[in-house]
Amino acid sequence: MRYAIETRNLRISYGKKEVIMGVNFKIPEKVVFALMGPSGCGKSTLLRSFNRLLDLNKDANVSGQVLVFGRNIYSDNVDVMEIRRQVGMVFQYPNPFPHLSIYENIAIGLRLNKMVQTKEELDSRVKWALEKASLLEEVEDRLDDFPSSLSGGQKQRLVIARVLAMKPKILLLDEPTANVDPVGTKNIENLLFELKKEYTIVLVTHEPAQASRISDFVGFIYLGELVESGPTARIFENPQHELTDRYVRGILSIGDKNGRNTN
Amino acid sequence: MKRLETLKVLTSPAVIFVFILFVYMLFVYISMSIPVFQWEGLDIYLKNIWHASENPSEEYYGLAAAIWGSVYTSVIAVFIALPLSIAYSIFVNDYAPARIKNLVIILSDVMAGLPTIIYGIWGAFVLVPFLREWVMLPLYRELSYVPFFSYPPVSGYSYLSAGILLGIMVTPFASAIIREAYGSVPQIYREAAYALGFTKYESTRLIVGLIRPAIISGILLAFGRAIGETVAVSLVIGNTFNISMGLFSPGYTISSLIANQFGNAFIYKHMTSALFAGGLALFVIGTVVNITGLLYLKRWKKNVKF
Amino acid sequence: MLNFRKIKDKLFLTFIFFGAFIALFPLFHIIFTLIIKGMPVIISRGTMFFTGTLSQGGIGPAIVGTFILAFLSSLIGIPIAFLVGLYIYEYPDSKVSEFVRGLLQIMLEFPTILVGVFVMDILVIPMGTYSALAGAFALAIIMMPYVSVYTAEAMRNIPYTYREASFSLGLNCFKTAFRILVPIAKRGIFTGILIAIAKVAGETAPLLFTAGGLYEIYPHGISAPVGAIPLLIYTLIQSPSSTDHATAWGASLVLLLVFIGVFIPIRLSLKEVKL
Repeated sequence: MRYAIETRNLRISYGKKEVIMGVNFKIPEKVVFALMGPSGCGKSTLLRSFNRLLDLNKDANVSGQVLVFGRNIYSDNVDVMEIRRQVGMVFQYPNPFPHLSIYENIAIGLRLNKMVQTKEELDSRVKWALEKASLLEEVEDRLDDFPSSLSGGQKQRLVIARVLAMKPKILLLDEPTANVDPVGTKNIENLLFELKKEYTIVLVTHEPAQASRISDFVGFIYLGELVESGPTARIFENPQHELTDRYVRGILSIGDKNGRNTN
Repeated sequence: MKRLETLKVLTSPAVIFVFILFVYMLFVYISMSIPVFQWEGLDIYLKNIWHASENPSEEYYGLAAAIWGSVYTSVIAVFIALPLSIAYSIFVNDYAPARIKNLVIILSDVMAGLPTIIYGIWGAFVLVPFLREWVMLPLYRELSYVPFFSYPPVSGYSYLSAGILLGIMVTPFASAIIREAYGSVPQIYREAAYALGFTKYESTRLIVGLIRPAIISGILLAFGRAIGETVAVSLVIGNTFNISMGLFSPGYTISSLIANQFGNAFIYKHMTSALFAGGLALFVIGTVVNITGLLYLKRWKKNVKF
Repeated sequence: MLNFRKIKDKLFLTFIFFGAFIALFPLFHIIFTLIIKGMPVIISRGTMFFTGTLSQGGIGPAIVGTFILAFLSSLIGIPIAFLVGLYIYEYPDSKVSEFVRGLLQIMLEFPTILVGVFVMDILVIPMGTYSALAGAFALAIIMMPYVSVYTAEAMRNIPYTYREASFSLGLNCFKTAFRILVPIAKRGIFTGILIAIAKVAGETAPLLFTAGGLYEIYPHGISAPVGAIPLLIYTLIQSPSSTDHATAWGASLVLLLVFIGVFIPIRLSLKEVKL
């Protein structure tokens, strides 16, 4: 079985401070894999090592291997920008570029990466991306408007469309619904459920309930270590590790019988 | 990771250009000063003499008067700026109602950016006559035994006028630094003082003590700014070769000397070089004072984390 | 004893209010004086004041000269300063960057007369004439640190997440900077540029030995002398003629109004100003 992402003894430190300590896990293709754990335990950092966005931080030191579809992305002759196109990212704060229209937000990546040749191709790709992100219907008559006129949830779907236009294979999402209202959150969660048929999705969340709702696999990170990982149902109903057990209990007590919310 | 980024390639030449410009400027001042060093040695800085002559072997220049004037007037300026900028900073942070606060800050910034020639014209035609009439003449009449007041105020153009004008001009610079530092002290320190029964005055004094390095930095920067000022000073200082402690005596500063004499310096063999030597002195003093002020502030900011 | 402390408290309050008042009062007196002394001059001479030459009682050539110098110095100084600002934003940790930032700080407060004399030495003497070019070059040197610092500051104020988003799309440093970040920061950058221009347009000392002054005829070339309002005022104050003094007051009022008119709106749209 080929893994979308696999880490081997991955260590990340900021200066002298070790943030991720020797993590090994395997993320299968075309699933939703949730990374959960208390805030500040390095989940966002870990996620950024998967598309080498961590390179932006000059203090960060990475050792070990991160294999994307079998290739170590931290080896020497790797084209970082190509990786970032293949492994797309959605952020905690919906961040469509404020100075570009809805259309342009999606077009700019395509243009600057020279991924399309003609205006027609560009048009159709933009609309395709919006459709895939379940946003086209809501904005198709105002593609020249600016993102400021969108709600939080819509902005986030625009960001997803921006990423999808790159035709990535993997989507990384860093607490994507943390700053989105409940209705928008529901829309995004449903969208992710759809998207996992075609893309591998890695989702960082600080809300165990969200992980139990939409993920197939879960990894529990605590203080920079991967405490436990496995199929979601098993982790929530029958955690092996005491820490995991304590962490997931937070949601079991909210009345759901089996901890899963199937939509 | 050795990648040649387009951005770095594009911006580096600009950075190199700026470096070269500064170094070249320093080089010009040094090389243009050398002739007068060879002609007079250190006398150029130590003597007060300005003997221009068509006959080069009779020329002799000394910048002592200008150096004295620059330092003296800047010290006066700082004496004025210190209490004013502290009072202003306390006012802005503790007493000004919210609406006035922003207005007052903007006013100070306007004063800092105001074209100096405007200070100059006001200084020459308004401040000087006023000071002569209401400050200098009375002080000279009554207290001329005091060394500071012993020089007769003939025209009013003097160290005092220049010092006061400079003080007015540089106060906003010191104020900007001090008011920011004062405002950055957390409320808990003041609350602690009140809890101990301090009066408002006593607790304010405590806070001011806490930000002393910022005050020193502000004063240094004000001093550096004052010593480099040219047109405003040259219009009120009288442009005379004097060395005196008398506040009402006219004098020169390095910058006003250059402004005044450079136009006709080319006639004489050594004068240009003498003036460049003055500029070099100003270059060095100004740079050293400014760097010291900035480093002081930076170190204070780094070490003192409230 | 308590009474003594209370007296100190009251004295202190007086000191604070008095001191703050004294610090700001000169500005009002200056504005007041300029209006009182300058307005009558402008009114009595009418539009001739703005279009006429000096012997006609006008400052027309000086006004044009100021514009020319502002324009030329911007042309020379802004592109270079902008690139420097980008450099110190993008590569803040290198030794070079620290040096440059220190250098910029020095240049921000550098005695402007020294810049003028330097430019005289390298441009005016070889060219054999005062010129608009020399004046503009001197002003450009003074303008550069402001533009660089404001540019870097405006870029730094962009939320980090936009930087991340751009890189995560596979864009490189150059494209991220010029196509994404600079357009987002453009208002801040533009404001900084305007402040820098306003500042150098009011400078006198750098022009003393570079621009030359030209007040009887209108400016006719960049390698020819040119006048400027501040420079004109400086010359007029030192003349013995009271007509010249009157012109100086009028010109000062114009300069003041232009400065305040440009500075205040810009200042209101910024949170703080580099001095």
